[in-house]
Amino acid sequence: MATGGYVGKILYVNLTDKTTEEIPTSQYEEWGGGYGIGQALFWDRVPDKTIDGFDPANMVSFMTSPMCGTGAPSATGRTEVTGIGIQQYPIGWFTRSNFGGRWSAMLKYAGYDGVAVQGASDTPVWINIVNGKVTFEDATGLWGLDTHETQEEIWKIVTGNVDFRDWWDADSTRDSGRTTAKPAVVCIGPAGEAQTRNACLLHDSGNGGGQGGFGGILGAKNLKAISCIGTGSVPVADPAALMDIRLELKEVHGYNVDDPKVEQPLTGQGTSLFGINTNQPGYAHLLWTANQPARPQGCMGCFKNCRMNFASGLANGDICVEGLFWAASGDLNEQMAAITLLDRLGINAYDLINGHSYLHSLYKMGILGPGKEIHSELPWEEYATYGFIEKLLHAIADGTDIGADLQDGVTRAAVKWGRYEEDIASGLLNRPQWGFQEHYDPRLEVEWSYGSLFGDRDINEHGVNWWVHWMPLVTAALGVPAHFSAERMVELLAEATGVGDPDGWDYSEEGIYADPKLKAVAWHRHYGRFWLQSMLLCDWAWPQLASVNTEDNKGATPEYEIRMYKAVTGKDITYEESLEMGRRIWNLGRAIWTLQGRHRDMEVFSGYVYDVPTTAPYFLPVKENGEWKYGICLDRTLDREKFEDTKTRFYALEGWATDSGWPTRAGLGELGLDHVADELEKNGKLGA
Amino acid sequence: MADNDIKTTEGQGYSRRQFFAGLGGVGVGALLGGFVVKGFIVPEQVMALPASEGYLLVDTKKCAGCDTCMLTCSMVHHGRVNPALSRIQVTKNPFGKFPYDMEQVQCRQCPAPACVEACPTGANHVSEENGNVRMVDESKCVGCERCVYACPFTPSRMQWNHEDKHAQKCDLCANTPYWNEEGGPGGKQACIESCPMRAISYTTDVPVQQEWGYMANLRNHHWGWLSLDTTDFGKEADFELPTNPVPPAAAPAE
Ligand code: SF4
Ligand code: SF4
Ligand code: SF4
Repeated sequence: MATGGYVGKILYVNLTDKTTEEIPTSQYEEWGGGYGIGQALFWDRVPDKTIDGFDPANMVSFMTSPMCGTGAPSATGRTEVTGIGIQQYPIGWFTRSNFGGRWSAMLKYAGYDGVAVQGASDTPVWINIVNGKVTFEDATGLWGLDTHETQEEIWKIVTGNVDFRDWWDADSTRDSGRTTAKPAVVCIGPAGEAQTRNACLLHDSGNGGGQGGFGGILGAKNLKAISCIGTGSVPVADPAALMDIRLELKEVHGYNVDDPKVEQPLTGQGTSLFGINTNQPGYAHLLWTANQPARPQGCMGCFKNCRMNFASGLANGDICVEGLFWAASGDLNEQMAAITLLDRLGINAYDLINGHSYLHSLYKMGILGPGKEIHSELPWEEYATYGFIEKLLHAIADGTDIGADLQDGVTRAAVKWGRYEEDIASGLLNRPQWGFQEHYDPRLEVEWSYGSLFGDRDINEHGVNWWVHWMPLVTAALGVPAHFSAERMVELLAEATGVGDPDGWDYSEEGIYADPKLKAVAWHRHYGRFWLQSMLLCDWAWPQLASVNTEDNKGATPEYEIRMYKAVTGKDITYEESLEMGRRIWNLGRAIWTLQGRHRDMEVFSGYVYDVPTTAPYFLPVKENGEWKYGICLDRTLDREKFEDTKTRFYALEGWATDSGWPTRAGLGELGLDHVADELEKNGKLGA
Repeated sequence: MADNDIKTTEGQGYSRRQFFAGLGGVGVGALLGGFVVKGFIVPEQVMALPASEGYLLVDTKKCAGCDTCMLTCSMVHHGRVNPALSRIQVTKNPFGKFPYDMEQVQCRQCPAPACVEACPTGANHVSEENGNVRMVDESKCVGCERCVYACPFTPSRMQWNHEDKHAQKCDLCANTPYWNEEGGPGGKQACIESCPMRAISYTTDVPVQQEWGYMANLRNHHWGWLSLDTTDFGKEADFELPTNPVPPAAAPAE
């Protein structure tokens, strides 16, 4: 069976001299797609890995995967972005972000498997891709426009005044095809233009790529947007098999909207929390539901459709922390307006979701405010109103008031204000690693925190978290029995992941340092690097380690991933081989970070993780006296010594030198990465 | 046979009410000259074409815009994926206000199909073997594209397949070589089967039509349970927007 899924070429763009080159995708197919290919391209084309993210030599890749554009369930529309980041502290590691929607699919219909951008333009430009034809366009007239206006303007430029309900001829000849779609545009807003470290990329309404600061990097490159539109086909090796997978997944694991197997116990203005485990549509805001007529809205090819579009048109397509942004207002309409403003200005929700409350704490402490140590004339007494957040967001985009400091991100602003050391020690600034806002408790839910610390950013992979943390929490909060017991939970996870040992999901005081846990952490990195970041399966949908829609509660993983991969590409791989590909991708990353200056000594959490005990109940499976139960994990800290020992064992498990954390020749050689070992050796950074 | 039944050559009757309801869907503004006149003045000519045994029924308020129907439609017919070759189209404005933000547009298998009418070679025909679905015999298509422009709807439900060089339209999945299921009227349809929101269904009666499409509400109380809109037909806003969503602006705050 022929290889499917790829359209064959990667577009390389040099913004400095406005030239392009086409790289055959086959040269990079061994890396799968997405992050794997973006990282391999970076390795090959950015000789000095120690450059700053703002350096024109930094290469930003927008990569698709074989699955993109094919209809592979919840794996069709995501785009992976890679490059040296500007958000992390103290060093902007080589990193990644990823956004949903339809951009990657459209890029493939336009003839490319990816776009890699290097250099910087001396004047504002945008890149216009129409069915394989690439032009550099003057973006002077777009500069200053917000992300929504930018896209609407580009739609007009590319597709004229064609109505949303009509066909657009891709060219004057009848052989170029027609589409009813508007160009798929990824762009930056005013925050990105100002080169802020917390500027995001935005596509369509709510698809943001925030982490890493790629919005600011595009700003530094003077690149306002990349637009693509095309009418070409994406080949699929075994279409009938892919169709069977789609229909089976819908039947067996999908949420039947007409007659659900498990239905949430609340309706109306309540919570959507139940959707976390049911695959129901429209649950993306978790803590709230629509207060006005709404429909579900999904990324291309999704089988869940977690977001919503609203009668007001505000907060369309927003999800997760975007959707939860400015809950402080306590007024859903104001919140939706704040979310939309955030999207329009192109600011990363995650840097500010707790960032604004940190700033408010400093205000209440008398440290920040008019005439205070940190001078600010924003209306702090009106905190929790739309008026306040509107002014704060504009201050960041415009660089006025404390916005001038916050353009460097909340973490670097704290450093500049001399607050950082004290506040990460106390946890007032709860950022456990690399300057990223805490996401899940780093003292407890450790495959998240260890993975983030040994990597480049907050990992943001929910497949395990939906089950171990959210399932017991949601069912307890809503007063219904857990969908299944803790014992069944760990059995399901052990089996679906392939780790085999249920103790991998023991979050007790001992469990989080034990060898089975390290295997679970390693599995998480390898699965994530291959399936989520390189094959671009959505992390809100995959892996499906358990299910409330099946009798035995077994999820779709790993059977469906392997079947999808084979149906699309025609390549037969085992699940173990896929994880090995993930390990290879993860190890090349480790080599890049090593060249950037990573060392064992840096891989420590912020002080509060070790010193400040947890105070709120936090649900996770724990094994106590041989019995499994959902624990509430109160009064827990991470033990410094035990963690250091755990780190040593984790390095050994990954084949890294235990004294430095650097990859070794033996470890890299096993993965066919001898040339990477050579480069590390040349730089005096090969682990021994 | 009752007076208001119109007999077709196939012997299946359908009522005058259904017929005019079907025509009504074309909308006065969209009706194309000769076709209308012919349709009304010499109905027996129109009626010479037997009614399709099946129709897609879409609920535009239930659609989530995931494009799955488009991806699978092209895949089961062509063995490759391409929304531009999908016979159902989902049109969208990501910034639009529900319910004006998106809708599925599908072939109506018109009782009096202008596309069939326009075809000079009989390639675009009513297929007796396939439940009278209106479909294109690709081998007979000479590529004049008259059918593409004859379909009175916007966007035209007829397509020029620019890759394989022939006209094509929804055949209710009669010709789906890349699917393990039997398609066509009486069989399965890829868009219906794959839609995760169950926003497309199948009917054997000519559906009652509006200017913008068929009237269909496929949402039951389970949909409402998710806080999603269950209100009936029509696109008129039956809802007053909140008074305090402060319109976000790109301009700097005062
Ligand atoms: S598959 Fe269903 S929900 Fe998705 S776009 Fe088509 S009709 Fe809408
Ligand atoms: S293509 Fe147009 S004219 Fe022909 S049957 Fe379909 S809707 Fe009617
Ligand atoms: S019934 Fe078949 S041919 Fe018609 S739109 Fe649906 S998938 Fe396409």
